[in-house]
Formats: sequence, structure tokens, C-alpha cells
Amino acid sequence: MSAKRRSRRSFLVESFTGLNAAWVAANYPGILAAQNYVRKATDAGQTPRLAVLNEAQAVEIEAMTAQIIPSDSTPGAREAHCVYFIDRALATFSKDKQPAYMQGLQDLQAKALQLYPGVGKFSALTPEQQIKTLTEIEKTPFFEMVRTHTIIGFLSRPEHGGNSNKVGWKLIGYDDSLNHKPPFGYYDAQA
Amino acid sequence: MKRYSNSTEVDFLIIGAGAAGGIMAKQLSTAGFSVVVLEQGGWGKYGREHEYNKDEWLNRNLSDDDRLMSDPARQRNTFRPNDKVKAVPGNHSYGCVVGGGTVTYGGSNWRHLPYEFREASHDPTIPSGTGMADWPVTYEELEPYYTQAEWETGVSGVRVDSPFVAPMSKDYPVPPMPLKSSGALMKTAAAKMGLTVVPGPLAIISQPYMGREACVNCGICSGYGCQVRARSSSAVTMFPIAEKTGRCEIRVKSYVREITLDNNGRVNGVVYFDAQKRELRQKAKSVILSANAGESARLLLLSKSSRFPDGLANSSGLVGKYVMFGNGAGASALFEHPLNEYKGVISGAGIVDFVPSDPKRGFYGGGRMTARGYLTPFELGLGGLSPGTPRWGAGYKKALQEEANHRMTISCFVTQLPLETNRIDLDPDVKDEWGLPAMRITSSAHPDDIKNMEFFRKKSIEILEAAGAKKIWAPPVSESRNGAHNRGTCRMGNDPKKSVVDKYHKAHDVPNLFIVDGSSFVTGGRNHPTLTIEALAFRAAEHIVKNAKSGTLVTKA
Repeated sequence: MSAKRRSRRSFLVESFTGLNAAWVAANYPGILAAQNYVRKATDAGQTPRLAVLNEAQAVEIEAMTAQIIPSDSTPGAREAHCVYFIDRALATFSKDKQPAYMQGLQDLQAKALQLYPGVGKFSALTPEQQIKTLTEIEKTPFFEMVRTHTIIGFLSRPEHGGNSNKVGWKLIGYDDSLNHKPPFGYYDAQA
Repeated sequence: MKRYSNSTEVDFLIIGAGAAGGIMAKQLSTAGFSVVVLEQGGWGKYGREHEYNKDEWLNRNLSDDDRLMSDPARQRNTFRPNDKVKAVPGNHSYGCVVGGGTVTYGGSNWRHLPYEFREASHDPTIPSGTGMADWPVTYEELEPYYTQAEWETGVSGVRVDSPFVAPMSKDYPVPPMPLKSSGALMKTAAAKMGLTVVPGPLAIISQPYMGREACVNCGICSGYGCQVRARSSSAVTMFPIAEKTGRCEIRVKSYVREITLDNNGRVNGVVYFDAQKRELRQKAKSVILSANAGESARLLLLSKSSRFPDGLANSSGLVGKYVMFGNGAGASALFEHPLNEYKGVISGAGIVDFVPSDPKRGFYGGGRMTARGYLTPFELGLGGLSPGTPRWGAGYKKALQEEANHRMTISCFVTQLPLETNRIDLDPDVKDEWGLPAMRITSSAHPDDIKNMEFFRKKSIEILEAAGAKKIWAPPVSESRNGAHNRGTCRMGNDPKKSVVDKYHKAHDVPNLFIVDGSSFVTGGRNHPTLTIEALAFRAAEHIVKNAKSGTLVTKA
């Protein structure tokens, strides 16, 4: 049990290692807080946050999401925890998509192996190789489904598992107060 | 709430709790009559509107109990462009909850203009061979009821003196909603082009009114219930008053499958399914059908009898015909500075100069151009970026960030010619979830409609150029094949051979059946049907109450 907890934590902590260094520097306190949060949650023995995907699958899906909305000078799908949104979606509203995800992951792996023999997993490819692999499958229903879920996870309310710390909303400049007063934008302010 | 037993013969049975059903329920119950309203949908968050969600993910995954619109997987329907091809499954959907479409609509509340009631006899641009006809009511007759609808429901707007806007005998009860950046840009363009911009009249209150709070510009608007009760749906304006009389019962999850007739050719009630799909009967002295144009026509066609083998009240053969769904056109653009269109209501200012048809254009058609830009975060992320941007990866993310608050859209609401070949009927093969023949839609736009849409598409581009857009795009025009703006299937008229209801919405064929909803429309106006549905309902209710009280319709309970 404790080993499982630890590995889950390490998965989450590792989630932050794929970041661009400049972004990490700029956001270091925030990352620490997030890591601390994860640590506390896992140490408190809360229900595992992954409900449908196992960790190996989550790593692959997360690698996909991180190419769909990459992390650069601002957070991407990885920091938004889109993979947790996807996992929760597969446990709830998108239960019917579980088989498609499982099959899609196998196909992804096969494609990665076909293109880059010898590399075990999609997630182990270089970013350029990952992009090449996804470009090959970008017309498939599986890719479209992961794209849709990644974007929704990035931009939906954080309680669904993604958009962690509202990083998605921050990127698009969306103020979620649901209460706005004019002027709303530049042009009505000028009018 | 008052409850009636199925065997109690109520004065009025109303089918459908939408815009018209709410007005009929309120007017008839406050006049002293016993009323049962049967609604196939649920309550929504009636009376506890603060519980409406503003959660996009939840809203895409609503339970049956929380749904506010019909579900094409249950209320099945099919579509075909013409009679030569077999219909395929369609996705027609409409408001399906107490309050109907007014619970979730954008709230546009334009009046029809006076000449829109008599275009057939006055507009030389109308091509031959269409179903264009004059309405049996004039604007002057309907004007007081427009005012009544605006004041009893609560409409924000400003009265303007313009040949392109209907004249009003009274101001709006509350001022217009605040100008948005899209409207400000439209004004910039209009000033250069010599065009007229008017704040859009909206059934969303800009100030506290009749015990309800003003809109807080939350921005998660169309498609969602209003948490602060600022949207003037019949669920917060009409039904609470009807209920309070102690004479009106609203019965939800009640799906009517047939309106029944007695031996004298009068309707005497309905057969309906309850939530458990048990078949029940409700007796009534008189029936008001307000199920929306598509479903009202379908229910009449389902109600076959020896007297009406082709469907109830259908001696003219016109039930279901001349359906209009409402066409649109438009363009989107990016601007240098942020507009933040996600804040506030979805439909702002409108350019109205092209409302009339103009012989110089060489075809029949007109429309209203409205400033919009509303995209929810999902809509933006999934499909709202400008053409040519990558669908994923670094380029996608960059566009997401750069375009998010910098775009606006001009949405034009335009004419649609009524054609006899465009119609609602019963699908011979497909059944709905209750085992009844599904609605079949047959519809193709008249060539003039397509030319008109193209005109508005190009005009939208011109306006965005004049407003100083950095990038403009406009999808190719395409006609509507379904949707909640459906109207025209039981047209009103003075001649029983050429219409289904008379000018007071009484079925020509049945003395105690009234059809009160968008189905009565003779022509489509410039789309935006709700306020006209409401004005017609207030007028019909007044007439029905007067007759009923004098004993020519029903005996008072």
C-alpha cells in the first residue's frame, strides 16, 4: 500500500519535470505548493486519484496531452493535470469511452514502435519523435477524442480534475467570477 | 400546487409549458378558470434557480432530470432535403422543461415590423410559387400585446424612431443591457457606412424588475439556466403567478400522444404517458396546443380519427406544412485589442438597415445583423480559433492565447420563404422512445433564401473590415435544417382551406381547440420569433377568456 502510494506520488512529482526551465523558475513557489498538496493528499491516505487508468497508461496519456497543449513559457496540459480530468471522465460521464482509450493506447504504442523500433513506449520518445508519432495518427478517432478531452480538461472547472490552479483559464484570460461589470473590453471602454 | 384528478374535466388543458404555454396558463388561471398544463420535460430548477449550473462539462453531461432541451436520442427525428430521398436520423432539438426554450435562449426579443404582416401583398420582390401570404392580423392590432408581453415578462431595450424598427406605443420597462465591445465596433463601422445601430432588445433584465434581480453579466448564458432569474423565462414570469391562483396544475414528465374527440367533433381531453410511461387520460372542456411548431403539428398528425383521418384539425391538409427553421449567415474577426466578449449577454447591438427586402438586390430577403462574439472556454478551445491555426501543439496553444479575447462575430438573422414542400410529418419507419412515429422534417431553402444569406455574409465582412478587423473569416452559407426557432406549421388565416387556425388561434375544424405557439406564423419575419409568439398568446388569451366568460366556449368551473 505504501509502495503504491509512493509511486503514485512520484508519478505526480515527475509530472513537473518535463517543464521548460524558465517556466519552472518563474513558477517555483507554485510548483512547490502543488507538490506539497500532492504529498499531503497521498500521505493522508486518500483514495487514489487515478480511478480507471493505471499509472503506466496515465504516463502515456499524459505524454499525449502534453504534446496537444505543450508547456512552454506558460503551463500546458501537464500542469493543468489534464490526465486526471481524463481519468475522472472515463470513470464517470465518458465511461463508454474506456475501451476506445485502451485500444487507442495499444495502437499508439504500436505506431511508436513502428516508427522508432527499440524505444519501448511513446512517453520515452523525444518531443520531436512524439510530435511525429501524433502527426501520423492525428486523423484517427482516438487522437480526436484525446484532443477533445485534453482541451476540455484544460478549460473546465478545476473540480473535474483538470485546469489545475486555473492555468487553462489564465492562458485564455478567462475570469471565472461569473459576475462582470462594464466596461468589458477595450472598445466599449473607448466608446 | 393545485392537483386535479384525471377524471376531473378541467376548463383548459394546455399542452406544452413554453413561452406561449406560460402566458396561456397565467392568463386563463388568473381569469378564474381551472387549468392543467402537461409538459413532457421536467421542472428544471423551477423555484430554485440559483441551483442552475454554470459548468460546461456538467452541462454537456446532464442527467435526464436536469436536461433543459429535448434529446434527439429520445425525441427522435429524421431529416430529408426533399421527397425523393429517404430521411436520415436528425438532431432537431427544442426547449423541453417548464419554461421551454425561454429557460435557455439568448433572449433576443425583436418585434416584427408592421410591413412583415403584409409582405405578400406589398413586396414586389417576392418570387412566385412560394407560400407567402398576408397575416390575418395587422401590426396595429398586435401592438398592444407586444407592449403587454414586454412589460409582463420584462424586456430590456430602448425605443428608437427608425423605419427599420417597429414603432412602439410605450418604452421598454428597463433600459438596454450595457454596450459590449462587439457593439462598439459595430458602431464604428456603422458610422463610416451610414448605417443604423440599435441595442438589441433582450428578455434579460438590466435592472431589478418585478421582484427579480438584474443580470450580473456572468457570460455563461445561452444554453444555461439563469441563476439570478434575470432571464425573463415563462418559468420565472408566468408560471409562478399561474400556480399562485390555486387553479393551475403543472404536470411534468407528461408526454401527450393524442388529443381525443367526442362524437360532436369537439376535443374532450388527451391521452398521455406519465414518467413511468403509463398511459393516462386527462379530461378537459377545451385544449390549448402550445407544444412548439414541430411538436404541435406532429401531435395533430398523430391524433387521427374517423372524422379526421389525416390528423386532427387538418381538413386543409396544411398541418405541418410551410415549416420555417430560420436561416442565418455571418462572419467572425480578430481585433487588435481585447473585447472580452465572454462577459455579458450573447446578443448585443444590431444593424437594422437591411431588414427590408430591396428590389435593387435582385431577390427577396432581409435580415438583422447582430453583434456577438460569445464563446465559452470549451467552444473557443475546441473549434473557435480562426481558420488556418493548428489544431494542437505549440501553434495551437499560441493561437488559443492570442485569439481568446480578441474576436467577435456578426450573426445575421434573416428571412426564410415559406414553402408548401417544407414540412413536418410522421416518419413511416422511425419511432420515438414512446413508440410513436418520429417527427420527419423535409426542408430545402428557396434559391432566394440562399442569395439572401450570401448577401448577409458579404455585408458582415464589409462591416468587420470597416470596424478595423485584423483577420476576417466567414464560413460558406448553409441553410437551417432544424432547431428551436421552428414555426409556421399550423398557419393562421381567414380561409379554412388555406390555413389551420383563425386569427384568434382557434382551429378552423374544431371549436374548442386552440393552437397557440410559433406554428401560427404565416411568414417567418426576420427570425427572432419569441416576442411575437408571446404577443400572439396574450391576444389569443384575451379573446378566449372573453368568449369563455360569455359562455360561448366553456362553462366556468
